Amino acid sequence: MAYDPRLVSTSALPLPNNNNNTNNPDSPKLRFCTVCASNQNRSMEAHLRLSTASSPYPVISFGTGSLVRLPGPSITQPNVYNFNTTSYSQMYDELYGKDERLYRNNGLLNMLERNRNLKWGPERFQDWVPGMPRVEHVSKGDKGALGTEGGVVDVIITCEERCWDAVVDDLMNKGSPLNRPVHVFNVDIKDNHEEALVGGKAILELANRLNEAAAAERRVSGSDGWENGVGEARRNFDARVPEILADWQAKWPHLPALWTLAWL
Amino acid sequence: MAQSSDHLVDQIAQLNAARNLVLGDAAFYPQIVNGVLPLIGATARVELRRWGTEFLAETFASPALATSQKEQLAPRVLQTLREILELPEGDPLVLKQIVQNAASLYPLVFRHIVNHPDDGAVWENMTAVKQDILRRWDAFPFAVKILCIKFVQRVVQVQTHGSISDPRRPEQNETSLAIVPRTHAVLSLPNLEAEASGLLDRLLAVFQEDSSDPLFVNATLNCLAVLIRTRQSIGNKIINAIMNFLPARQVRPPITPSIRVGVKSMERTARAVMVNIMKRNPNHPLVGKMQQYIDRLMQSRLEVVDDASRKRGLPVEPTDGLDHAKRARLGVETPPLVKVPPLPPGPISYAQLFTLTEDAGLSSFDVKQLPPDLLVKIVVPLLARVDQSMMNQSVEAIRGRYQTIQKQQAAQQKQAAAAAAAAAAAAAAPVDDDDDDYEPEYQPMDIPEPVAEQEDAVPTEVADLQPDLVSLGPFVLPQPPPLTEDEAADIGRSAVGRVFGMLASTGVTPTPAKGKSQQQLGFARLAGSTFDRDAWVTLLTRLATRAPAGLEPRAVKSEQERGKPTISDSIRETLYRYILEDFRGRVNVGIMWLNEEWYNDRIQMQFTASQRTEEDEDVTVPLHYDHWVLRLLDGFLPYLDSRDTKIFIRFLSEIPEVTIPITKRVASLAKDPERVNLCVQSLLYLIMFRPPAREMCLNAVEDVYQTYEESRPAAGKVLARWRPQKPQEDQQPPQQLQTQPQPQDQQQQEETILASRTVAPESATNNTSLANGTDGIHAAARR
Repeated sequence: MAYDPRLVSTSALPLPNNNNNTNNPDSPKLRFCTVCASNQNRSMEAHLRLSTASSPYPVISFGTGSLVRLPGPSITQPNVYNFNTTSYSQMYDELYGKDERLYRNNGLLNMLERNRNLKWGPERFQDWVPGMPRVEHVSKGDKGALGTEGGVVDVIITCEERCWDAVVDDLMNKGSPLNRPVHVFNVDIKDNHEEALVGGKAILELANRLNEAAAAERRVSGSDGWENGVGEARRNFDARVPEILADWQAKWPHLPALWTLAWL
Repeated sequence: MAQSSDHLVDQIAQLNAARNLVLGDAAFYPQIVNGVLPLIGATARVELRRWGTEFLAETFASPALATSQKEQLAPRVLQTLREILELPEGDPLVLKQIVQNAASLYPLVFRHIVNHPDDGAVWENMTAVKQDILRRWDAFPFAVKILCIKFVQRVVQVQTHGSISDPRRPEQNETSLAIVPRTHAVLSLPNLEAEASGLLDRLLAVFQEDSSDPLFVNATLNCLAVLIRTRQSIGNKIINAIMNFLPARQVRPPITPSIRVGVKSMERTARAVMVNIMKRNPNHPLVGKMQQYIDRLMQSRLEVVDDASRKRGLPVEPTDGLDHAKRARLGVETPPLVKVPPLPPGPISYAQLFTLTEDAGLSSFDVKQLPPDLLVKIVVPLLARVDQSMMNQSVEAIRGRYQTIQKQQAAQQKQAAAAAAAAAAAAAAPVDDDDDDYEPEYQPMDIPEPVAEQEDAVPTEVADLQPDLVSLGPFVLPQPPPLTEDEAADIGRSAVGRVFGMLASTGVTPTPAKGKSQQQLGFARLAGSTFDRDAWVTLLTRLATRAPAGLEPRAVKSEQERGKPTISDSIRETLYRYILEDFRGRVNVGIMWLNEEWYNDRIQMQFTASQRTEEDEDVTVPLHYDHWVLRLLDGFLPYLDSRDTKIFIRFLSEIPEVTIPITKRVASLAKDPERVNLCVQSLLYLIMFRPPAREMCLNAVEDVYQTYEESRPAAGKVLARWRPQKPQEDQQPPQQLQTQPQPQDQQQQEETILASRTVAPESATNNTSLANGTDGIHAAARR
């Protein structure tokens, strides 16, 4: 384990400074949330990418499905688990016991192995209470948990349009108790391991671009004051989001993107 | 400076530690908030103020902290916030946090005032913050404007009438005007309501402006859903405002990618709001309109900006769920795999071969128990609904089984033969060799298991097995019951009828292509190889002429006796009628047919002559050409028209033999003054280009000349050229012509003579006709 989370929570250092952020140690990072259907493949691949990047991001991840569904021996016999109460390790052990060869070959065991090293278990987006402290996730050693103790994020990235719809709809239902803006993106990724890898890479790049714009805004409005900023940097991060997404989309044309500004 | 910055870092670190404490346990909030407030106030450094306002915003938003505690903390915090807000510096980050915090505080403070009307100072602070924010809304930096939208939405939400869920427990009710007593000392209901109405209009103005920033639009849309849901009084107003908004309408060229992103996001967000409302309240009176709006939204975007669809292209690999290496997409319909159960060992019946189900009850069920009409009712709709891929897979499975069994049997037979040749004792021995022989050919298909079983099973049973029991080899149909002659004739006629049906249904091949292919093929062409209409005609003419030739000498007599036509005659009859139906278009069919008839007549005569023995003096060959050429001619002559010269000349020049009766028929055309020219011209053509028929035709022209006044000018010219001195000398034709008024008798006479023309007296006519018909022979030989 690279760090002791309990040490962090008791340490006197400002949290963002804990990260080995080389270019701008002062700048806090944007906090991300990745969402797919089952919080297993696409959102977890993106979670991995974001939380283990050279300058790691605070990241949490969810699924919007009603249940966690994993492929079974046939299309009509999926392995079904409950969100929030089943850990990746439990699933791993169960599938390992059922048919190691099958689940090794279809990549499920590898995927669960990756996931259980990232966090405890799949979480359902609709059950998430934004703003509810997530300190215990830091102490559990969840990857990317650092910076998300406050239970809020700045950017949500879904991996499928129906997940985006579900997220935007759910945020409306929650009634935005925090009064906090959040950018909700969709990056359409096909649900297979290969596409998830590509999609994870693309999501990391989108995150980098967004974070850079946010950091630029903070720099100009920093101690030198708002007036000293020039050009692009002077423009607000939020206002630049459509443009950033359009640029990103030009580079990743096969991952159709969607965005809105919603409220937590 | 270094000292102070170190100090700052320390301070921030301490504050973070404090934050972590309250995040871990919300009970510490009051203590920490009160401790922090002096450090982050208006006099503190900007870094500390940023940290402080963020922390406070988090505190009042936190679901972990009870509302009652927030209410208690609010007054002091509000005072601090107001002080910071009123600072002239206007740090955007600090302002953002303050506005956000104000949105959280407003309902809290409002509720507090409703319950504590005496606490005017707090309300005064809140109002001051509110007024300050509203006043500066348009001047704020971009990010703060976004938060103003949310703040205003909160104010509107508070200052409108909400629902009272339970009047007995006021603390459960949502914060709204509904919980404000009419006689409240501080809060004036009409004023608050009016303010809310104005603010709502300001909020909705974003949909009416000419070009709104997608961020403001999306931010507004996303916070309106809760207003629509909880505030019936203004819900319809908001929905109507949204429905008048079409993002695509605001777009002005040039359309950059970021504008495209913006328009799409506004469209999708507006749709999401509508869907959210409709889902919550499917009986909403505006549901129909909202649905229309959604459709219009999508359409307008597609029209204006989405030139290229951003949808995912076709998948490169099959996404049918068959690829187990990939995680199957849930909910996708996949073609179910047909499970192919292994065949039982030992001999296989047809029933077993075709049974794919493993259900014992189903496979033992005898379908014959069901009445056929019921079966039809079941099977027809079933067939209509059969899944194509299932069907294919099943057929493949059966085919695989069948091929496997066939190979085994071939091996068995080979082996049986070998065994018989060698010794009976060695019967079972060569099995292994055979297996070796055929295994390489065998492609392991879907069903490797049954094959293995079969291989095991076969050798043991091969010795005592009757191959017939399992044989799928050649199947011999049982002898059909003998047909009576009439039945056979009927069936033959119906077969011919069907071939004529083919003629009708097969189109004529386009002439250019036909001509081309004929040119290419030339003499090498084979009749009837193109499967077009011509091919069928060829087939029919030969069917009529050649097929029954030699079978009929007796049949002709019996036909005459019984008055029933033979098959060949019925074909001829049909052909005749077929040609007459449209003789202009089908004259080539007639020519082809008559050539065939003539050729066949010659062949028959030659054949009979070669078979002839000395004692058979009086062998006759039934000849058809003369009879049918006259019939055909008589058939269409009445319909010939003076414009048909070309067709008629073609017919006369291409039929294999021109006889005197034919020239007489042609000459008879001159009876009609309109067709005199047709008559003379066709005869002239024959005179010029058909030397063997020249004399006959000249005679005919002479007849015409002498008989019909109208023909004199034309016929005279011909005679002047071809028979200059004769016209007066020859007196015979007029006499002959006098018999013409009874053409029927004459024709019959001729027919009876010609139809049984003997083979031996092959006289001048025959010579003429042979020379005369070179064309015809060529034509027949070509085919």
